[in-house]
Amino acid sequence: MTRLGFVLDSGNCIGCHACTVACKSEHDVPVGVNRTWVKYVETGVFPDTDRHFSVMRCNQCEDAPCMTICPTSALFRADNGVVDFDDHNCIGCKACINACPYDAIYINPATSTAHKCNFCNHRIEEGLEPSCVIVCPTRAIRVGDLDDPDSEISRLHANGGGSVRSPEQNTRPRVVYKDAEPSSLDPLAAAIAPDGLIWADTTPAHPTPTPVALTAAPSRDDGAEMARTVYTTQHKPVWGTMVSGYLVTKAIAAGVMLVTALLVVLGHGSEQAAVGVVPPMVAGAFLALTGVLLVGDLRQPGRFHYLITRGNSSSWLVRGAYVLAGFAVCLAAWWIAGLAEAGAALSLLVVPTVLFALGTAGYTAFLFAQCEGRDLWQGRLLLPVLLSQTVVAGGAATMVLDLFLEVPEIVAVQTMLAIGLGANVVLVVVETRGRHSRHVTMAIADLTLGAQRTRYLLWLFLVPVAYPLILLGGVPAAVGGICALIGLFAYEDAYVRAGQSVPLS
Amino acid sequence: MLNAYPPEDQWDDHQSLDAKEWPRRVKRRFRLVPTTCFNCEANCGLLAWVDKDTGRIAKFEGNPVHPASRGRNCAKGPATLNQVEDPERILYPMKRVGERGEGLWERIAWDQALDEIGGRIGRAFREDRKHEVMYHVGRMGDDTYMERVLHAWGIDGHNSHTNICSSGARVGFATWMGFDRPSPDFANAKVIFLISSHLEAGHYFNPHAQRILEGKANGATIICVDPRLSNTASQADHWFSAWPGTEAFLLLAIARLLIENGTWDREFVERWVNWETYLTETRPDLDPVFDNVGPALLDHYADYTPAEAARVCGIDEDRIREVARVIGAGLGGFAGHTWRAASAGNEGGWQVSRCLWFVNVLTGSVGTEGGTNANGWNKFIPVTPINPEPQAEWNDLTWPAEYPLTHHELSILLPHFLKSGRGKLDTYFTRVYNPLWTNPDGFTWLEVLSDPEKVGCHVALTPTWNESAWFADYALPMGVASERHDVASFETHNGQWIGFRQPVMRRHGELEGETFDRTHEANPGEVWEEQEFWIDLSWRIDPDGSLGIRHQFESRENPGTPLTLDEYYAMLFEGSVPGLPETADAEGVTPLEYMRRKGAFALPGDQYRVYERPVSDADLAGTERDERGVYRKPGTAGSYGSLDEISGHMPLVGDGSPAIDIDGEARFGFPTPSKKLELFSETMRDWGWPEYATPTFIRSQVHWEDLDFVAGERILVPTFRIPTLVHTRSANSEWLNEISHRHPLWVHPGDAEELGIEVNGLVRISTRIGHYVIVAWRTEGIRPGVVAASHHMGRWRLDEDKARSWGAGKASIDRDADGRWRLRHEHGNQPYDSAEPDTGRIWWSDTGVHQNLTFPVQPDPVSGMHCWLQRVTVGPAQPGDEYGDVVVDTDASHAVFEEWLARTRPGPGPGGLRRPLWFARPVKPKATAYQADWVQGRSGPDA
Repeated sequence: MTRLGFVLDSGNCIGCHACTVACKSEHDVPVGVNRTWVKYVETGVFPDTDRHFSVMRCNQCEDAPCMTICPTSALFRADNGVVDFDDHNCIGCKACINACPYDAIYINPATSTAHKCNFCNHRIEEGLEPSCVIVCPTRAIRVGDLDDPDSEISRLHANGGGSVRSPEQNTRPRVVYKDAEPSSLDPLAAAIAPDGLIWADTTPAHPTPTPVALTAAPSRDDGAEMARTVYTTQHKPVWGTMVSGYLVTKAIAAGVMLVTALLVVLGHGSEQAAVGVVPPMVAGAFLALTGVLLVGDLRQPGRFHYLITRGNSSSWLVRGAYVLAGFAVCLAAWWIAGLAEAGAALSLLVVPTVLFALGTAGYTAFLFAQCEGRDLWQGRLLLPVLLSQTVVAGGAATMVLDLFLEVPEIVAVQTMLAIGLGANVVLVVVETRGRHSRHVTMAIADLTLGAQRTRYLLWLFLVPVAYPLILLGGVPAAVGGICALIGLFAYEDAYVRAGQSVPLS
Repeated sequence: MLNAYPPEDQWDDHQSLDAKEWPRRVKRRFRLVPTTCFNCEANCGLLAWVDKDTGRIAKFEGNPVHPASRGRNCAKGPATLNQVEDPERILYPMKRVGERGEGLWERIAWDQALDEIGGRIGRAFREDRKHEVMYHVGRMGDDTYMERVLHAWGIDGHNSHTNICSSGARVGFATWMGFDRPSPDFANAKVIFLISSHLEAGHYFNPHAQRILEGKANGATIICVDPRLSNTASQADHWFSAWPGTEAFLLLAIARLLIENGTWDREFVERWVNWETYLTETRPDLDPVFDNVGPALLDHYADYTPAEAARVCGIDEDRIREVARVIGAGLGGFAGHTWRAASAGNEGGWQVSRCLWFVNVLTGSVGTEGGTNANGWNKFIPVTPINPEPQAEWNDLTWPAEYPLTHHELSILLPHFLKSGRGKLDTYFTRVYNPLWTNPDGFTWLEVLSDPEKVGCHVALTPTWNESAWFADYALPMGVASERHDVASFETHNGQWIGFRQPVMRRHGELEGETFDRTHEANPGEVWEEQEFWIDLSWRIDPDGSLGIRHQFESRENPGTPLTLDEYYAMLFEGSVPGLPETADAEGVTPLEYMRRKGAFALPGDQYRVYERPVSDADLAGTERDERGVYRKPGTAGSYGSLDEISGHMPLVGDGSPAIDIDGEARFGFPTPSKKLELFSETMRDWGWPEYATPTFIRSQVHWEDLDFVAGERILVPTFRIPTLVHTRSANSEWLNEISHRHPLWVHPGDAEELGIEVNGLVRISTRIGHYVIVAWRTEGIRPGVVAASHHMGRWRLDEDKARSWGAGKASIDRDADGRWRLRHEHGNQPYDSAEPDTGRIWWSDTGVHQNLTFPVQPDPVSGMHCWLQRVTVGPAQPGDEYGDVVVDTDASHAVFEEWLARTRPGPGPGGLRRPLWFARPVKPKATAYQADWVQGRSGPDA
C-alpha cells in the first residue's frame, strides 16, 4: 500500500511562491483563494533579524476531520492515502472548511464547491509528481510514502526530525516539515503587525491574533516571543448569519414542542388549538425556516438532497438531517392527531417528539464538535447550552403564542423559561470563565471583548430585561420572550463568528 | 516511482487526465512544445502544454532538458499563461490618432505600419541622418539578432537599459579580466558571497537559486551583504547589513585579512595577475619581485583594518574576521556575485565588483571548480550566419565623449541630451522598455516623448500597454515568451548551453499540417514577433536594395524573397553551435528540428580554467610575442599602426591577441591588454582615472557620514526585486500580482519614532527634484538610517477603461503654476468585468507609488551607471499629501544632470580614441569609428 505525504523542507525554501502559481495554473484556481501558499514570519531584532518560510496546504491527515464531517463524501480517501475530493458530490455546506484545522479548504467561486490540495492525484495516477514539486527551484517540496520505511518522510517521522502543524488536533498529518521555524507553523505564535504584510494588501480577510486576543493570551505555548507574520493569504469565515439564524429557528421549533409535550404530560392533551394544532404548526414553520436557512447557506442549494441520496453517515450534518426529518414526522403526526382531537395519540407521541426535539436542539453540539478547526465549538458545555437555549426559545415563543390563544399552565411555562434562561446564563459564564487552550482563550476574547463584543453585550443586556417581563405574564411576557429571542440570536451570531476568528494558518 | 515530466517521446502526443474533471478520468490530448521564459533575464526553459482539442495553451511547465533551469521555474514561469491570456493585451497594430498621450488609437494593418515606418527610416538613411534612428531595448530576447539588424542597417542606433542596471558591475569586472560578469560555480563552492539577492532576483534567479541551495547542502557558507533583510539574506549564514556604499570597504578589509593571515593563493596570483605592473606603477621603490607583492598590498590597504571596516560599514568586527577566516579556509572555492545592488546604487559602485573580484583572485577562485568563472566562458554566443560588416558610425547621443569607459549606452541621459540640443530622433523604437516609468526622472522623458521636434516618431514594440507606449505614435504588438523566436544563452553554471525560444502555436500548427508565412498568423490576434518584423521592415526601408540593406534580409535559398526564420535558424544551428549537428544527426534529425523538439542544447565539455588552455601553433601563426609575453596579432586592436588596419568585426571583448606566455607555454589567458588579471589597470590610468587603477573604495553620494540624520536625512534604497515580479513586465499577470502588489517603505522602528512616522502612517520622501508620498512599514529587517521600497509597484494608467492591468492604478497628471509636474493617484486596483472572470475577483487595491519619477539622473562619472540610491529627507506626510502623490521639477532635474556631467573626465583617450578598443560594447562598430571626430576638428562634445 501507499500512504502519500509531503516533506516540506523549510530549510531549502526560498519563499519564491513558484508552488503557489504552479498550483493555480494546474488547477485553474481563481483569484482570492489558494490550495497552497508560502507563509513568511520574521523573528529577532536588527541586526539579528531572520525571515522564515513555510509552505501551507492540506495536511492529508491520517484522521481527516474534513472527511468525517463531509455530508456527501465529496471528500474521500483515495487508494494512495490522499484526501481527495469530488466536485460532483459537493453541496457547498462549508463544514469541511471549519473542520479543517489548517485553513486548507476553500470554496471555489467558479464552481461553488469546496476545493483543496488533492496532491495532484490526477497526475499521480499517470506517474507524474505534483506540479508544486516539479516547479520548486530548490526541491523544497518532496513526495514521500509513509508506508515505505526507507522513505525520507518515514525516516523523519521515525527519528522525530520533522514537525507537523497543530499536532494537538490529533489529525496525524502526513505533511511533515523539515527545519521549520516553530512560529511559522503555529498560527498563534506570530501575528500580522498593524502596518501589514511585506508585499500584499492587508485586509480583514487575513486572520491574525488580534490585540484583544493577544492581551487575553499573551504568552506563546513555548514561552517564546511572538513572531511577526509578514506574508500570508486571506481566509474568510464561512459561516455567518444563516447559521446563527438556523440555530435560533430550530431552537424555537424544538422548544415549542418541548413546552407542548410538557402540557400534554400535565394533562392538557385535549386542548386542540393550544396543544394539538397550533404548536406543531408553529414548530413546523420554524423547522421549515430552519431548512430554508440550511439549504440557503449551501453554495450548491440545488444539491441539498445529496444529504440523503449521497449521505455520509459519519457526518453530523447527515445525522442532523435525519433528526430534523424525524422531528418533522413527529410534528406531522402530532398535528394530525391534534386535528383529530386524539388526545391519547398525543400522549403516545410525547416520547418520540421529545426525543426528536432534543435531538434537533442538541445535534449541533456534535456537528460543531466535528469542526476540529474551531476549538471554541468543542466546549464540553455546548450540548447543555444548546438545550438551555431550546428551553428559552420554546418558552419565549410560547409567551408570544399566549397572546393569541390560551396556553394552559402558563405559570409552568414561565417557570420553565425562567429556569432555562438562568441555566443558559450560568452555562455560558462557566464556559467563558474556565481555563482554556490559547486558541479558545483567543476565541472567547473575541466573543466577549473583541469583534463580537456588541452582540455579546446585547445578549447580556437582554437577559435581565427579559427575565422580570416574563414573570409578569401577558403582553409584558411576550415582549420579554421577544427580547430573549433577540438576545439568543445575538449570542448565537457572536458565538458562530468568534469561533471562526482564530487564525489556523 | 513518479516522474517530473512525461517522457520525451510522448511530447508530440501526450494524453493526460483533466485536473478539473478529476476524479472522473477524462483524458485530454496535448502536444508539449518547448520554448523559453521571458519573465527575467535567466531565460529558463518552458514546456507549453497545447491542448489539441481546444487549440489553446493549457499551461506552462519547466523544460526538463534545459541545462540551466532543469525543468524547474520560479513563480514567473508558469505565470506566462496569464500573459498569453491577458484580456487587456494589444492584439493588433495601433496608430495614434489624437495628441500624444491622449489615448486615441486606431487599428491599422501590419502592411501600413511597415510602409510608414520603413519609409521614414529609408528617408533618414538616404538623407544621411542615420543617428536619428534608434532602437532602445530593455530586456533583449536574443543575443545576436539585433546586432545583426543594426549592423545591416549600418547605424550606431542601439540603446539599452544597462546603465540603470549593470554598467557599474560590468566596469569593475571588465577592468580585471576583460569579461564583464562573474559566473560562480555555486553548486561546488565552499563560500558563496552575494552582494545581491540571488535567491529572489539577480542574474539568474532560478538557475542560481537551485545551485546556491545545492552548495549550501554540500556545506558551503553563505554570506550576504545587503542593507535590508532580503529573502537571500534570510538564508545566509552571515548577513551583513553594511551601510550602503561601504561594500567595497568591507571587501578590501577582507582582502587585507586574507593577506595578513597568509590565506591567499600566492601561486595563482603570481601566475595570472599583472603584479609586475602593479609594483612598477605603485611601488617603484621596491624590486619588482613577487615576494614584494604581499607586503606592498598590506601597505596599500593599511587603512582597511577590521576595526575601521566595522566602523565605516557599521558591522561587527569579529564577524568580519570570522568571515575572512572562512573565506581563507576555502581557497579555490569562493563563488562571489554582485549584480545591480550595491554596484548599481552608489557612485563608485563599479569598485564594489572590482573589489569582490579582488577576493576571487586572492583566493585563487578564478574559473575553478567551486570558484567563479568569467561569464564569457560559460555563456555561448553563436556567430550569426549572415553577418554584415559592422557600422562605421558612432552615435554621440548614446556614447557621449564624457563617458569613454562606460560599459553601456548612457540611456538615462538621452532626454537631457535631446533637450540640450545634441541631436534629435527621427524614429525611436522602444522594446521591452518603458523609459518613462522605469528610468529616473520620468517627467523629463514625458516632456521629450511628447515633443515631436525631439522625437519624430516613437514606435513602441510591446505586448501590452505601458506608460511610455501610451505616448507613442505606433503601438505594435510583439509576442510574449511563447510567441516568438530567439536564441539565448547565459552563464548559469559551469558549462555552456543554448536555448531556443519558439512560437508555440506556430510550431503546433505546423505539426498539425498548417502553413504560415508569418508568425502573426498563428499568434493571438495579429501579435507578431520582432525577428520577422525586422526582416519585413528592412525590405520596406530598402525596397530596391540600393542601400545594401535588403540583401542582408534576403533568402539564400530563394533569392528575391525575404529570409525566413526557418532558413535563418537552420543555418545558425548547423554552422554556429559546436556539437549540435553531430548530436542532432545521432537522433536522425536536422539541428533545427532538434532544437524545435528539445528547446535547448548543452555544448559538450566543461569550462574550468579556460585561461590555462594551451594555444596551438596554428593560432599563433603571424603573431609577435611582446616584452610582456603577449602574443600580438598585427591588424588587431592589440597591434596596429592605424585604425584602418583593423578590418571587419573586432572581437566582442579583448584586443584580439590570442595568447600569453606563461612559464614558456602559450596559454589562452584573459581578454585584457596584458592577457592577465589586471590588479593595476593601465586602461584606467590612461583614460583619466589613475587614482582608480587598483581596487579602491570610493566614497559615494549617500555615504552615511555625510548625512544629516537629525534633519531627517536618510538613505533610500528604491531598487529591490521581489521574487514574483519583474520590473514592468509582470503587471499583466494575475497570479503574480495577487501575491505581491504593495511596496511599503521599509523603515526601522527606531527610525520611525525619530522621524515621527506613525504606524502605517503616510511618509513624504523628498529628493533634490521633488517628492513622493508612500506608506511606512516598520521592520527589524532594515538598517536604521536606511529606508527602502521595492521598485516594482507604482504602475499607473491615465484612462479609466483602457490599458488596465493587474498592477496599474488610475492616475492623473498635471502641472502647477510653477511648472512642476504632479502625478496624482486617483484609485488603486478595482474589480472589473472582462472576458477573464478573475478580473471581477480582484480583492486588493494597493498599487504602490511611482518613486522613480522623483529621482534625478546620477550617472557615475566613470561607469555611467545610474546611482540609484538617493539621499532623501524623510518625514510624515504634509497637509494635502495623499498616498501616491508625486511632484517633480524637471528644471531642477536638468540642473542635477549638468552637475553630474561636469564631474566626468571626457575622452578622447590615448590615440585620440573615443573608447578603449578592447572594451566590450554592444553593436561594436568598425575600429575607425573609434576615432574621435572632434579630434579631427569636425565636431565636439560641446559643439
